[in-house]
Amino acid sequence: MEERLDSVLPEGVETAVRSDALEETAEREHVAGVGPWRLAARRLRRDRIAMGFGMVFLVLVVICLAAPTWATDVAHTGPLKNHLTDTVVVDGERKDVVSLDGVPIGPTWQGEFFLGADTNGRDTAVRLLYGGRNSLEIGVLAALITTVLAVWAGLLAGYARGFTDAVISRSLDVIWAYPVALLAIALGTALSLQGLQIGPIEISGESKLIPILIIAVVYVPYMARPLRGQVLALRERDFVEAARAQGAGPVRIMLTEILPNLSSTIVVFFPLMVANAILLEAALGFLGVGVRAPEPSWGNMIGDGVKHILTGPHLAIVPGIMLVATVLALNVFGDGVRDAFDPRARIHLEH
Amino acid sequence: MGKLGRRGAVLLVALSVFDVAACGGGDDDGGGGARDTGGEIAIGSVGPDSADPVLIQSLQAVQPFQMVYTPLVTYAHQEGNAGTEIIPALAEEVPEPTNGGRTYTFRLREGLEYSDGSPVKASDFENTIKRLLKLGSPWSGFYTGIQGATEFTERGNFKADIAGIEANDRTGEIEVTLTEPNTQILFALAQPYAAPTPAAKSPARGLKQPPPGVGPYTLEVVDFNREWVLERNRRFRDIPGIPKGNFDRIKIAVSDNVTRMTQDVISGKLDFMTEDPAGDQLPEVRAQYPERLREAASPANVYYFFLNVTLPPFDKQEAREAVNYAIDSNALVRIFGGRLDPGCTMLPPSVTGYEEFDCKYGDPAAGPNLERARQLVEQSGYEGEEVTVWTNNKDPRPAIADYLRDVLGEIGFDADVKTLDQQVYIEQVGLRRTKAQTGFTNWYQDYPHPADFFEPTLSSEALESEVTFNQGFVSDSRIDKTLDELRGEDPEAVAERWGDLDEYVVNEKAFVVPYGYEESTSFFSERMDAENCAGIHPVWKNDWLLFCKKAS
Repeated sequence: MEERLDSVLPEGVETAVRSDALEETAEREHVAGVGPWRLAARRLRRDRIAMGFGMVFLVLVVICLAAPTWATDVAHTGPLKNHLTDTVVVDGERKDVVSLDGVPIGPTWQGEFFLGADTNGRDTAVRLLYGGRNSLEIGVLAALITTVLAVWAGLLAGYARGFTDAVISRSLDVIWAYPVALLAIALGTALSLQGLQIGPIEISGESKLIPILIIAVVYVPYMARPLRGQVLALRERDFVEAARAQGAGPVRIMLTEILPNLSSTIVVFFPLMVANAILLEAALGFLGVGVRAPEPSWGNMIGDGVKHILTGPHLAIVPGIMLVATVLALNVFGDGVRDAFDPRARIHLEH
Repeated sequence: MGKLGRRGAVLLVALSVFDVAACGGGDDDGGGGARDTGGEIAIGSVGPDSADPVLIQSLQAVQPFQMVYTPLVTYAHQEGNAGTEIIPALAEEVPEPTNGGRTYTFRLREGLEYSDGSPVKASDFENTIKRLLKLGSPWSGFYTGIQGATEFTERGNFKADIAGIEANDRTGEIEVTLTEPNTQILFALAQPYAAPTPAAKSPARGLKQPPPGVGPYTLEVVDFNREWVLERNRRFRDIPGIPKGNFDRIKIAVSDNVTRMTQDVISGKLDFMTEDPAGDQLPEVRAQYPERLREAASPANVYYFFLNVTLPPFDKQEAREAVNYAIDSNALVRIFGGRLDPGCTMLPPSVTGYEEFDCKYGDPAAGPNLERARQLVEQSGYEGEEVTVWTNNKDPRPAIADYLRDVLGEIGFDADVKTLDQQVYIEQVGLRRTKAQTGFTNWYQDYPHPADFFEPTLSSEALESEVTFNQGFVSDSRIDKTLDELRGEDPEAVAERWGDLDEYVVNEKAFVVPYGYEESTSFFSERMDAENCAGIHPVWKNDWLLFCKKAS
């Protein structure tokens, strides 16, 4: 095989292929001495496409984290600040930020209003970056909460079996029965008016916690069900039997014996979960039930921008591009992580 | 009627008056070829807010309901000022008041019947007024001047009688006696929510389907949030002055997506829209379809922010004045896409009593006085106070509320925005328990009388209904006293006093923050005759009975 490749591949590619082949050989030779995490990391490093998209995601995160710096030092405004009657000098000419008939200025390609303004005269670039922070924050937090809930649901249902399993599984089935977006929109609409009150805890309808919790809850079955299946298999394994024989209780067995064996699955799920959460948040924001105005998110910026697609296409297109780039980067990177941990796995999340 | 850009009426502004009778009858050739009558048209709308005629609040509801529910008297189906004339409808004639201006006696025309075939009875009218009062309709305040109405409401017994209404089913005579002379009562009785409906089908509870009416069309709710249908009432008998309409069927496509609605009118999927093209679509429509867009007339209206005087921080006059000083009408003009005439009065320029008094807070067309506003907020002791600005999701209202939020932040409050769906917004902010501090509101004239801009929006009487249009919960003895004094007077004769009341409300007490008067539009599809049959009406904004297609 190597001989044939030598004959047809150009020099650079040939070297890379040879190097990969050598590593694969080395991996096969030393696999017994390498831990699964290190092995996965090594496979992931070799997946250059996944690593490339991982870097894209990191860059997007860094850009969004730099929002306050851009706002303060470059754009000299905040994400919520209206500039309806203000003017800006572009190429030596003073222009209205919003014209008298309500049309906002387009991209100036300079510090102030770099990507133009919206109908309230707010700086689109600043809102884009702050919107990204909100979208990422919601995506990551929702994915974390989903993970915690799904792991507990999977562990309890799979380990306890019987009545506990039936109650948890049927509850998850109820959520599963609804299309994700429809359920999230219904919850978002209902909770946005009155907020949420759980005992002494009260969450206002405008709080970012509302979309976070909604997204977290609707995705729990998608992660909990495969985890439950794994737990059902793991609880029959010898090492669990051994722990039980040593007198370990159910909680200890779940936490110290079973949970570590679920960790690779959880790691594989997480980036995909974040990508889906960001996408769902954008859908909710687009429909006005995600991050509440005037706080920006990519979803609600697209929703607002669509209304002005004729005179200000950038208002919808730019946040759309950011959203696509982020979700694409996370999905490709997530696929890479999955391949690295278990190339035969068929983990898939519905969009 | 007012509320939220929806209900409306106009009076004034020099509207070009067309020969609308031509369209109304549906049998005119318009000077060109023959009119294409019959068939179906589709109208886009954010939708009526109730299926029950006594509970409707929005202009989007009044427009179809006036085609179904014919009152004792009604407004002339004419464009321009002619449309403010009261003409007889179910009654044989418009009565002259007797008993010192306190009693009005109507006599029903003979042979009237509802769309279900049942005869119209005089007692059905009393049943309608009882429903308005019993169900807590926001319009109930218009009828509390009828003798015994207040007692009926207090007693709460639907079977009880209203002393001031004597209805004789045999003779068809209806005698309405007021507690005191009131020059507005005929205007109030001309509203579709005061029209008789069969008592047997109009119980003391809200209705899910519109009951039968006498008008030229029947109305059916196919899906409350998607589709309503008006169909020709085959039992409608000729009533002088009431057109039969030019279409057999009118579909109302309900949607809160004004952008899509505008696209659908452009493409011809819809023939008309009750809303104004939003965002950058208006410049496009103006440029590309000028012959399909009518901008010549504006119903009398005022746009303002309400300030809840029962809650901090607007329970202090300094805080209320601060907002008035800080608002920049020029900013709001941009949000309206240029369709706002800046102003600082509650009475629009076209209404009797309007006077261009010196705005204490500066020329509305000039910039704001933020420095003074900050000082006042500091003086009020409410610096840093949390304020929620309420609005609804119909464009451009979210943008208006965000502007107010930004301004409140600049002058020292900690402001946020709460956005509700436009179909529940009026009801929510009109409930005392909602505790809305401030927010978007507007008022479109219900009838051509200056009292209509104060009684529902700023009087103590308006607070008696569960859902009030007095969203600031203003209860001021001077306003109430003035309204009592002017109620029986000819508005023209006391125009100056109406102007004084306006100045008191805005300049002296800063109960509200008026910022301008909207110039609305009427946008039609290619096949509709926008030039001759736009039906621009001073009370209903557009009279759909006057719509017609282009001559073929």
